Amino acid sequence: MKKLLAMILCIALCMSTVVGCGSTSGEGNAAADTTNQPAESAGTDEDAEEQTTAQGGMDAVAELDMSKTVKIGVLVSDSTTAESLAFQNYYKEYIAKNYNVELMYSDELVDAAGEKSAIDTFITNNCKAVISFSSFDRMAQLNQCADAGVYYAVATGTLTNDEYESVKTNEYYVGAIGPSLDVEFQAGYDMAKHYLDQGKKNFAIFGGALPYYTEMHIYRAAGMLMAMVEAGGEGANYQGATDKDGIVGKIFETATIETGSIGSINILGYVGGYDMDEAWFAKCGQMAQMDGLEVILAVGNGSDFFGTSAQGTDVKIASVDAYASAYGEAMEAGMLDYLAGKFSASIGPIFAATYRAALGSPIRNSEGNALALDQGYWVATSSEQFNEYYAVDSSVESPAYTKDMLDTLLTADYAAFSEFVGKYSFDDIKAIQ
Amino acid sequence: MKSSKGMITKIFGIGTIPVATLVIMLALCASKGVVMFETQGNWIAFFRAVTSVMLTTFALSINLNSGRFDFSIGSISMISSIVASQICISMGFTTPVMLLISLVSGIFFGTLSGLIYIIVKLPPIIVSLGVTLFYEGFAFAITDGYGVSFVANTELTSFPSVLNYSIIILAGLAVIIFLFDYTKFGYNYKALLSGQKVSVNTGIKEVPNAVGCYAVAGGLMGVVGFISATNTGNIQMALNFGSIGVMFTAFLPMFIGGFIGRFCNERIGYVLGAVTTALISLMYARLNVDSSIQQITTALILVGFLIYLNNEGKLKKLIKG
Repeated sequence: MKKLLAMILCIALCMSTVVGCGSTSGEGNAAADTTNQPAESAGTDEDAEEQTTAQGGMDAVAELDMSKTVKIGVLVSDSTTAESLAFQNYYKEYIAKNYNVELMYSDELVDAAGEKSAIDTFITNNCKAVISFSSFDRMAQLNQCADAGVYYAVATGTLTNDEYESVKTNEYYVGAIGPSLDVEFQAGYDMAKHYLDQGKKNFAIFGGALPYYTEMHIYRAAGMLMAMVEAGGEGANYQGATDKDGIVGKIFETATIETGSIGSINILGYVGGYDMDEAWFAKCGQMAQMDGLEVILAVGNGSDFFGTSAQGTDVKIASVDAYASAYGEAMEAGMLDYLAGKFSASIGPIFAATYRAALGSPIRNSEGNALALDQGYWVATSSEQFNEYYAVDSSVESPAYTKDMLDTLLTADYAAFSEFVGKYSFDDIKAIQ
Repeated sequence: MKSSKGMITKIFGIGTIPVATLVIMLALCASKGVVMFETQGNWIAFFRAVTSVMLTTFALSINLNSGRFDFSIGSISMISSIVASQICISMGFTTPVMLLISLVSGIFFGTLSGLIYIIVKLPPIIVSLGVTLFYEGFAFAITDGYGVSFVANTELTSFPSVLNYSIIILAGLAVIIFLFDYTKFGYNYKALLSGQKVSVNTGIKEVPNAVGCYAVAGGLMGVVGFISATNTGNIQMALNFGSIGVMFTAFLPMFIGGFIGRFCNERIGYVLGAVTTALISLMYARLNVDSSIQQITTALILVGFLIYLNNEGKLKKLIKG
């Protein structure tokens, strides 16, 4: 009896590694691409329009044979953020149930070696395509997929211009749809401007993964600083820099945000990283309680780290993340004032592009190049607005991008596809619905 | 005369490290024009650090001193606070109830961890790794991966205060001293530490004692989870050994506590070790020290201290000429 119990426990412990590492075959986790964003995005909506409107795009493709189940691998580097869980929910609860696909998920990847191993597993399991939310070594991922004749797509991210130029004609590269670094810069800029327009002058910045040189966070912070330079009056500058490239360069030099004045605007405090130790929480607490502070601008999740410390003060908190119920509660309680969030269905179009490639109808522009399209955020500045967005975003019956809408992408030409993706605002999508 | 000399040696041995650390940290802050304890928030941060680190050090040392390396204490902290907060949010319970549930669930998960170790009979380091993954996966599953957030719940986030943390420090210290110095369980624990084979031959049962140690460590980590959760109002998920980092915060205070323990009760040494670590943490926060520099500094202090401990005899000889 004892031996049997011991054996059962051993098996349970071994099985727990599977539980801990995520799951596969449609039960796993899609995730956000949160690290190592490319230095410059490859192509934007404007580029895409130029390419397509000039050439008129391709003709609509023929009807696709969707009778056979298509296996698609999903590379995941994060399984625990609100953003990644929202993406997971959309693929698992909507896409997998509405299309004849089997989605296989990797474990939570932590390096390029893990990506390689996961792709090997996908190939062994006869996956026809891979959608990647992991960015440790995208070129290696693509080359591995191409060598095996497997289509490869980048979700919620973009390639650098150089990377895109080198792979845009690769027949197995489907493309990338997500916020480019220009969009990230604009997200930070819009957030800061929202408060500068209200006359706020005293800010603190949470830099998230900025100290680790995560470029999307650097560009969001640079956008905030740019807005402050513009609002700071004559001679306002950030460490001598007055334009986008200069500010980005200054942040890259130090991997931090220097506190001080930008003209008439003050940066009173800065905290970066996700150390989550006692010293870090103490830093967060003291920043939220600084005398005179009016707004905390966070390049990532702000309310979870500063909300309780800012309780009872008039400090406003602005975040960039996703539409999760916790943020709704924080907004209702006045702890979160502004949210720029990715919507979960934003990964629908890249699925459609990948799926049709796997079915034998890859989408290319008139020059035969792969997709490179921008997508941005939904911005909520009130609890009512948040609830309106969240109701759509969290729905698995009628999400932002429904099957009917995605079906149009399966047979769309490049111009129509690009136009669809470009209309990502909540109002635009509701109009399409 | 001899007695007063011994007393002076004791006081010197007990107080040197924390007092010297305090003086150095105050001087460092002053050199930058910063007042170390300027606001109430600074005091709360200091006492919170002392409480968390002290309890974690107790939890780690209980099993580590017996040769059982337990990686699972961080995951027990996480899972206990998740269970407690979910129950309290859904039932509308108050903060003291959450503390109690955290403690009880910590004891439960600690006991479970100990039972697995006893039944499986694998090396404790291996078992604790499996248990860590199991608890992390379990926490992920019961929260659908989202963790728990109650930032808007002003009742549950009202706990942080100097008084509340002080009460936990005193209560925690009293309970641990009582358990390990004034009960049969504690006597058996000490006997097993000094020689397991002999102790077992004299009739001490090592299995219940080991499970008891895991249960006590679990209870302590349940309280650590409670402190962490009520500080920010949210509990972040950790997978793939992401919860292990918690235990590493306890190594420096454990070594410092071990040294101070030569001059007083070892548990008081751990408290002073936690005070020392908390002073360093607060200095990092007040001077906004970069995390990479923090890590290097902490590692250097730890290595330096270990070098001193290993060469103490030689140093004494050198000083005496």
